[in-house]
Amino acid sequence: MYGFYFDQTLCNGCKACQIACKDKHNNPLGVNWRRVVEYSGGSWQVEGDTARPSVFSYYTSMACNHCENPICVTVCPTTAMTQRADGTVYVDDSKCVGCRYCEWACPYSAPQFNAETGHMTKCDLCFDYRESGQAPACVDACPARALDWGPIDELRAKYGDQNAFEPLPDPSTTRPNLVIKPHRDAQPIGHGSGFIANRQEI
Amino acid sequence: MNVAELPMILFTVIAQMCVGAFLVLGVVQTLGSLRFSAKAIDQVADPALLAIGPAMVFGLAVSMFHMHDVTNTFNVIRHAGSSWLSREILFGTGFAALGFLFAVVQLLKWGRPRLRQALAVLTALVGVGLVYSMSMIYYSLVTVPAWHSWFVPLQFFATTVILGSLAIGTAFVITTSVQARQVARGVTASAADSGRRVSLRQRFTTPADPAVRDEVEALLAVSVRGIVVTAFVASAALLVAIPLYLSGLTAIGGVALQSVEVYSGALFVARLGLLALGAGLLAVFTYFIAAKPRENLGRLVVVLTTSLVLVFIAEVLGRALFYESMFRVGV
Repeated sequence: MYGFYFDQTLCNGCKACQIACKDKHNNPLGVNWRRVVEYSGGSWQVEGDTARPSVFSYYTSMACNHCENPICVTVCPTTAMTQRADGTVYVDDSKCVGCRYCEWACPYSAPQFNAETGHMTKCDLCFDYRESGQAPACVDACPARALDWGPIDELRAKYGDQNAFEPLPDPSTTRPNLVIKPHRDAQPIGHGSGFIANRQEI
Repeated sequence: MNVAELPMILFTVIAQMCVGAFLVLGVVQTLGSLRFSAKAIDQVADPALLAIGPAMVFGLAVSMFHMHDVTNTFNVIRHAGSSWLSREILFGTGFAALGFLFAVVQLLKWGRPRLRQALAVLTALVGVGLVYSMSMIYYSLVTVPAWHSWFVPLQFFATTVILGSLAIGTAFVITTSVQARQVARGVTASAADSGRRVSLRQRFTTPADPAVRDEVEALLAVSVRGIVVTAFVASAALLVAIPLYLSGLTAIGGVALQSVEVYSGALFVARLGLLALGAGLLAVFTYFIAAKPRENLGRLVVVLTTSLVLVFIAEVLGRALFYESMFRVGV
């Protein structure tokens, strides 16, 4: 099983990962296999006559988490959504009918519809790059070195096993192969007081 | 209104109406046979059977527009072991095929009645399977709180029962009205009774044999009354369930609150109002005038058709809101 590691403490939201992915896979406008979510919140802290802003904001770079229990694969009527032997999930173009059911199901917005082909598309963890010994495009593009990838056991041994932070969904639903190093203001899932600040970008 | 999901809105509502109509027709046949002759029942019921087929085919054809690459269409049944969408398509095409087969053997009176009955029961079961699998498509999405709810199967089966009943009620009175007009023109039952082969059109428009005419009227009164009572009760259940569902979603919180917000405003009011008017007020009125169907035939046609149209619009609006309420957890 392969997965991603993401370090929230290093990411400054530059979106180089998103652009590198889009460039590598030649995806059209609106199709972003990797997206950077900005989660913000906070309010004024009032002490006597003084009101001070107490706010937070942090980024989460999100592609497909190649889940252990991929709901996209479960619901796909055509078997086009396929799990490779290494655990990664990809769309078999010869089978997809473009019904977009997987898009409804995935809580990470990983499957994305390509109107040009009429098919669903998604991150395959740069299968061709991995075959030739390279790292996925997003990982190599990050100037802050906030992304890493590899066998999930190795990632968990190296970075821990945390991944339940807002605005991500409860990991028990699909069991994502994802490790996150939380930002100091990262809020545990279910206890979020913020909101996604860049809804239109993701 | 959610135009992007129009194929799904029309397909789900129309397919549910077809399944409901088939079920109601089966109930009329079964309960009717306790009191009435087969001849009287067939006189009223057979033409209605013909209307279900084209409606179901239309519904399935519309659903094709939900796909964006039809060249791979046949793949949609490959994942029946896991995907409710595959199962829905299998049940949908199965219902259409069995329904077509049943309509043919029933209208041409092929085979023994018992055999036809068995085929009807099988078709009805597949129809129930279709509505159930349709609801499970949405229920199985644990990532969408508004859809992962007991309300989804309840709503789908309520639509099935309400629209199915009203469609059959409307078909019954229109058929009888057409036949009555033939009586007024002096056409008699002789052609159909002389043993000669007659076209289906002739058979459906030929008035009832005077001997069974009173029986047909009594059957019409009983079945139309039963039908509007059914539609009334099912709508009342739906109208009680909606606030319960919405308060449940409010309790969940999070994205479910965004779904609750969809159920407000003019479209939601229109959806509730049209349902209450069509399956409530007009149903009560129909119940009273159905006591004397021959006398009130013209009025019955107008009232039942209006009620069917109003409730159909109400259900389409309700389904549009249902798709609109799709808010998923996560990013």
